[in-house]
Amino acid sequence: MEERLVVSSPPHMKSAVTVPWIMQQVVFALLPAAIWGVVFFGVRWALLPLVLSVLACVGFEALDCILFRRPLTIGDWSAVVTGMLLGLSLPPGCPFWIPIVGGGVAILLGKQMFGGIGQNVFNPALVGRAVLLVSWPKIMATWYVRPPFALGVTSYATPVDVVTSATPLGIVKAYGYTSVWETPNLLFRLFVGLVPGCIGEISALLLLLGFAYLLFRGIVQWDIPLFYALGLVAVAVVARQNPLFHLFAGGAIMGACFMATDYTTSPMTPKGRLIFAFGAGALTGIIRWLGGYPEGVTFGILTMNALVPLLDRILPQRFGVKKV
Amino acid sequence: MKLRTFPQGVFLPHHKEDTAHLPIVRVPLPQGVVLPLIQHTGAPLKPLVKKGDGVKRGQKIADAEAFVAAPLHAPLSGKVTGIEEWAHPTLGKFQAVVIENDGSSEEMRYDPLPEDIERLDPESLRLFVREGGFVGLGGAAFPTHVKLSPPKDKPIDSFILNGAECEPYLTCDHRVMLERAEDMLLGLRIMVRACGAKKAYIGIEDNKRDCIDHLAPLVRDLPFPTEVVPLRTKYPQGSEKHLILAILGREVPPGGLPLDVGVVVNNVQTAAALGRMAKEGIPLIERVITLSGDCLKKRGNFEVPLGMLLEDLAAFCEGFITPPRKIIMGGPMTGITQATLAVPVIKGTSGFLFFSRPLAKREYPCIRCGRCVAHCPMRLLPYLLGRLAEEGLFAEAEANRVLDCIECGSCAYVCPAGIALVHLLKLAKFEVMRRRKRGGK
Repeated sequence: MEERLVVSSPPHMKSAVTVPWIMQQVVFALLPAAIWGVVFFGVRWALLPLVLSVLACVGFEALDCILFRRPLTIGDWSAVVTGMLLGLSLPPGCPFWIPIVGGGVAILLGKQMFGGIGQNVFNPALVGRAVLLVSWPKIMATWYVRPPFALGVTSYATPVDVVTSATPLGIVKAYGYTSVWETPNLLFRLFVGLVPGCIGEISALLLLLGFAYLLFRGIVQWDIPLFYALGLVAVAVVARQNPLFHLFAGGAIMGACFMATDYTTSPMTPKGRLIFAFGAGALTGIIRWLGGYPEGVTFGILTMNALVPLLDRILPQRFGVKKV
Repeated sequence: MKLRTFPQGVFLPHHKEDTAHLPIVRVPLPQGVVLPLIQHTGAPLKPLVKKGDGVKRGQKIADAEAFVAAPLHAPLSGKVTGIEEWAHPTLGKFQAVVIENDGSSEEMRYDPLPEDIERLDPESLRLFVREGGFVGLGGAAFPTHVKLSPPKDKPIDSFILNGAECEPYLTCDHRVMLERAEDMLLGLRIMVRACGAKKAYIGIEDNKRDCIDHLAPLVRDLPFPTEVVPLRTKYPQGSEKHLILAILGREVPPGGLPLDVGVVVNNVQTAAALGRMAKEGIPLIERVITLSGDCLKKRGNFEVPLGMLLEDLAAFCEGFITPPRKIIMGGPMTGITQATLAVPVIKGTSGFLFFSRPLAKREYPCIRCGRCVAHCPMRLLPYLLGRLAEEGLFAEAEANRVLDCIECGSCAYVCPAGIALVHLLKLAKFEVMRRRKRGGK
C-alpha cells in the first residue's frame, strides 16, 4: 500500500475554480446581450456573424496548435470567449468573411503569436476588430439592416442604401453632437437597447446584467469597469457632452465590463488596474470627441494594453512597512 | 459581536464538522516509540541516553547547549533499543531515540509550580518552560522559552493566545480550549508573567463559537486584563502576523518577529500543556492531535504520546475504509505529505489526514487572472514570483520580496490554472537564502 502514497507540495486543497469554468461563465454572461442582438436585428443578420466568429476563433486556434505541434488548447474555452467578443462587436449584416478574417487575425496575430493563452499583450478580440476597422472602414461603419425600432434620425444616415441605418456615435461624428438628441427618450432607449449599434453592444442593461453575474461569481472585480467609466465621464464633462450618453452609446459598457477586464491584458496590481482602466476610459472619450473614428473603445483599450507591463511594476504596499 | 480580521486571504470549506464534536480520547501507550532528535525549529539535540539504558516516563533523554532548542523527554518507561536513523515527518530521515515499552508505570516528575505565579521571577519561569521541552504546538514548533525571552530594548505589552486554528479538518485546539481551559489559563499566566506582557488576548475564529462562549467568563478571574477576541473565520487567520494585525492592528515588519511590535504569540495547546506541567510536573511528552480524512474509519481527537508511529495510530483507529492515496501531517493548506506509515508523532504534529484521492488539479498556463494577488495576505505578486522562480531569476525574486512569503498556500488554493505557486516560491526562498549564506550571488 505504501508505494501508492502520493507525495506532493502543499496546499493539498484547491478551489473548484478552473480556467475552462471561468471562460464558460464569461460566455454565459454575454448570452443575454447576444440573444437580444439576434432578436433585435434578426437571426440572419446577427446570428450568422456571431456563429462564424466563434467557429473561426476556435478553428484557427486548433489549426495553429496542429500546425505548430503544440498541445490542443481549445478545451480551455478561451477561443470561444474571443469569438463571442469579436462577433458581438461586429455590425449586423456584415459580409460572411468579415468574422472569419477577424477571428483569424484575433487568434493568430493577437494570441497564438505571443505564445497562446495568458501570454498575449493585446486583447485578441480587439486586435481582430482593430484590423477590420482600419482595413475595411466602410464595411465596419455601415449598418445594413433597418431594425424594428429605428433611431429617430435615420434620415441623416447614408442615403444610398435604404436598408442602412446609423449608430448614435456615427451620427455625432457625421452631423455633430446636438443632432443625435432629436431622438426622443434617447438615453432610455440606449440603456435598454432600442437603438442600432454593434450586434451585442446595443443594450447597456443586458451587458450590465451579465457583468453583475460575473461579479457575483467572483470572476471579475468591479474596479476596472468603474474607473473606465470615470475616465470616460471625465472626458465627456470636459467636452461638455452628456456623460450618460457616452456610457450607454457604442461599445463603452462592453469595453468596460468585458474587454478592459480581460485577465491577460489588464494589470495585476491594485494601483496599476485603476490607472489602466481610467486611461482606457479617458482615451475612449478623447478618440470619440477629437479623433477620426466615431468610436474609441477599441483603440482606447489597446493603447492601455501596451502599458500593462509597465503598470505591473507598481508593487502593492508592503506588509509591515507603514506609509510615512 | 464585531469580528476582527485582516485584509485579503481566502474563505475555505473548513471540514471541521467531522471531528469538532468528538471529545479527546486518550490513546493507550504503544509497544514502542521513536523520538527524532530534532522536533523543533532550531538546533538538533544530543542524546543523554545510550542503547540499552532504561528510561522512565518523563525522564529527559536529549538536550542541546544551543539557546534555540528544547529538550526531549521519554513518553513512556522502557529500554532504549537504539539511536538510529528513522523516517521523519518533515525532514525525510533523522537520528532518533527508539524506546521499547516495558509495561511499567515508573515515571519522573518535575516539581510543580506554587500557586502564586505572579510572584515568581520571570527568569525562573523561562527556565521552567525550557526544562519542560515546550515548543509551539500549533505546527511551527518554535521553542517557547525563546519566545518568552524578549531582548531588553523590545518591551512586550501584549500576549496573544492563538486559538484561531484556521487549517481545515483540524479540531485538536478546539477540543483543548473546551476541555482543558483551566490548564490553558494557568499556562497563559506563566507565559504572561515570563514575558512581562500587560494584557492578554485569546483569538478564536467564530466557527468555534462554543469555545468563545466557554472562555469568555473564565478569563475574568485572571490577575491581568484578558480579552477573548472573536475572529472572522478566514484563512490564514492563525498566522502570527495576521493574528496580530487582526487583534491589535499592528504589522510585523518584513523579516521581523512579533516582539518587534511588542507582542508574544503562542498556541492554546502549548499553554494547556504548560499549565499541566505547572500543576502536575509532567513535561511535554504527549499532545492532542486530530486524525481525519475521508478514508479513516475512526476519526477524532486523540491524546497521543510523542514518538508513536503512524501505523500504530492507524491501527488504533481500526484502519482504513479504502487505502489512502495521500497522507498529510498537519492541515491540508500547509501540511507535509508522508511517504510511509513508519513516521512518528513529533511535537509539531497537529494531526494526520488520510485521503483516498490524490487531491490534484489540472494545470493550465497562467491566465493572469490576478486571484493570487487579490488573495495574498502578504500583499505579494505570487504569479510573478512563481515565474521568476521558474526562470531561475532569484535576485529578481528577492527584489520582489519573495522572502516575505509565509507559505500559507492561499495563492495556490485560488489559482484556476492549478499552478504549484507555493512550491515555486519555497524554491525561490530556499535559493535566495542559500545565496545569502554564500555571501552575495
